[in-house]
Amino acid sequence: MELNLLKESNDYKYYELFIGPNHPGIEGNFSYVLKMKGHSVEEVTPDPGLLHRGFEKLMERRLWTQNLALIPRICVPEPDVNEVAYCLGVEHMMGIDVPKRAQYIRVIVLELARIASFLFGMSGLGGTTGHYTSVQWLIGDRDYILDLFEWLTGGRVYHIYQYPGGVKNDLPEGWLDKLSDFLDYLEKRLPEYDKFIFKNPIIQKRTVGLGYISAEDAIENGLTGPNLRASGVMYDIRKAQPYLVYSELDFDIPKTGDGDAFSRVLQRRLELSESIKILRQCIEQIPEGPHRTKVPNPFQFRVPKGSYYSKVESSRGEFGYYIVSDGDVKPYRVYVRGPSYSIGLYYATKALVGMRIEDVPVWIHTTDMCPPDFDR
Amino acid sequence: MVIEFLIKLAQGLGIGALALATGLLFGGIGRKIIARIQRRYGPPFTQNYIDLFKLFSKGSVSHGWAFDLGLVAGFAPMLAALMFLPIGPFTLLPSDSSLIMIVYLMMMAYLGMAMGVLASGNPNSAIGMSRALMLMAGYEVPFAAVIFSVYLFSKTGYLTQIVAQQAGGFMNWNIVKMPLGFLAIEIALQGMLGEKPFDQAIAPAEIASGPMVELGGKYLGFGMIQHSVGLFLETGIVVDLFLGGAPNFWIFIAKQFVLYFIVILVDAILPRLRIHESTSFFWKLPLFLGILQAVIVIIQGGVLNV
Repeated sequence: MELNLLKESNDYKYYELFIGPNHPGIEGNFSYVLKMKGHSVEEVTPDPGLLHRGFEKLMERRLWTQNLALIPRICVPEPDVNEVAYCLGVEHMMGIDVPKRAQYIRVIVLELARIASFLFGMSGLGGTTGHYTSVQWLIGDRDYILDLFEWLTGGRVYHIYQYPGGVKNDLPEGWLDKLSDFLDYLEKRLPEYDKFIFKNPIIQKRTVGLGYISAEDAIENGLTGPNLRASGVMYDIRKAQPYLVYSELDFDIPKTGDGDAFSRVLQRRLELSESIKILRQCIEQIPEGPHRTKVPNPFQFRVPKGSYYSKVESSRGEFGYYIVSDGDVKPYRVYVRGPSYSIGLYYATKALVGMRIEDVPVWIHTTDMCPPDFDR
Repeated sequence: MVIEFLIKLAQGLGIGALALATGLLFGGIGRKIIARIQRRYGPPFTQNYIDLFKLFSKGSVSHGWAFDLGLVAGFAPMLAALMFLPIGPFTLLPSDSSLIMIVYLMMMAYLGMAMGVLASGNPNSAIGMSRALMLMAGYEVPFAAVIFSVYLFSKTGYLTQIVAQQAGGFMNWNIVKMPLGFLAIEIALQGMLGEKPFDQAIAPAEIASGPMVELGGKYLGFGMIQHSVGLFLETGIVVDLFLGGAPNFWIFIAKQFVLYFIVILVDAILPRLRIHESTSFFWKLPLFLGILQAVIVIIQGGVLNV
């Protein structure tokens, strides 16, 4: 204790405590330095910069299509949103029309990745509260999704499947049937998860009322996605500014609205059901046709001069790419707007103050932040 | 005299080795059962032996003499307490098998461990140890209430005599005569073994495994020995207090395993409470059950007629 001791009074010890980067309570290559008073947090200093990648700068040195192998690394649990947002931007600037079938395939990939990410995110709650059986169950079910991705793209975690103009390969034969079987299986599992996780009295005790975020605070601090919707603000890019074929699909935005840690996880659970609904419609409605519009040779691939901001709704919120081109074979500048930046770097400095040490990792994991998007 | 002492010494070492081997085996089987509940294959049930062997063959980093001494002080009283525990028909020191002595030695072990890990200087260790002691303040109270009930009922504080009074079949066991006391001690056992929902002392996501964070190599090995021997000792006490002891060693460990099985099933399905919630829980339901049991024993006349 004396190593980290800052000062001592009759009642309390004041000391520094590191949550990360090598700590089971943190997500990714990231750290919070906490100034503690006894068991409570007095001050929070986020300590990013441990990823040592520099995605945005690297993108300026690579060809437009080469970047597709780099950007999925910005969010490991849900890499596909990067690929789609980047492709949407490039396609808009080049004026490429994407075939309908490819748009449906993109929605299928995005929604499947969203489900995988929600399962992963919900397991974070189990990991921080010691509910390890739920972690293993959720990660086990996520593995079936990775099997599907492996069959479709050849990769389990990083898929590198999107390409300007569409997707690299068409759906393999029988893949949609297998997807349908998986959705049946997952729907049968959900009531079990509800009972095991959300109706568990200890989980409720540890999360209800914890880390309350008001709707005003959420908007003011730039929160998006389930974290924003859990505070009662029903904003979802898929509804507000539909892209791909979301306008043709029928789905709802579930409402929890209590703004605490429990509602943030519950929001994800309910949105997971909506993603299943979307996938079922895609299986029914997907048209025949080409899966890609032919684009120029990658070495001669030039995007006209200009800039564009493309965005998609990820499982964590708004994932945006601001792309600037000077007409070269490489981007002039690409700025990535990740959804975790606002909550993990800024809002955390307010939210964690006064919290007890045992609640800190629960708060971190119920916000489902993805620190690589701080270090992009 | 000398030969007698040497025989006792050899028997003592044998009991220590037996408790360690059984505790490690229980831990290994527990890991396997939990893995199956979690839909995993799990490690082999001999994994704990392999882990212990590996830890003792590794280099270790010390944090000074208090650290070294603390870990030995955490391990030695556990072994000493074993010498007074009736294991089936065998007790090394039957005339001294006082419950108070055993409980005292168990507390000494935790305090020894506290001294050691606090010397490491890591705030996670300090928080973990303060949580372990706070938890102890929680579960020791209902545990003491149950022991008080058994004292009142059996009119003795010696484990060998308590076991002898339960001879003659299932209906003579204290679990039948004092079911509320058994329930209270089973809940307290969950806390004593540090299993969920009472594993705040080592909560990995909160305090990076707490007391264990600075333990490596042989030091972690000592921690593992302490936990395994503690597992054998604590389940053994409950077997002797409530399940009538045992006519032989195999039945004794089978009864211990039943208790441990309940503990790991609860561990597999429940998450962790906050530390203050755990302590206040122990001071409510299990303590109430323990006190109620004592009141029932008193009303039944076993004491007032003395």
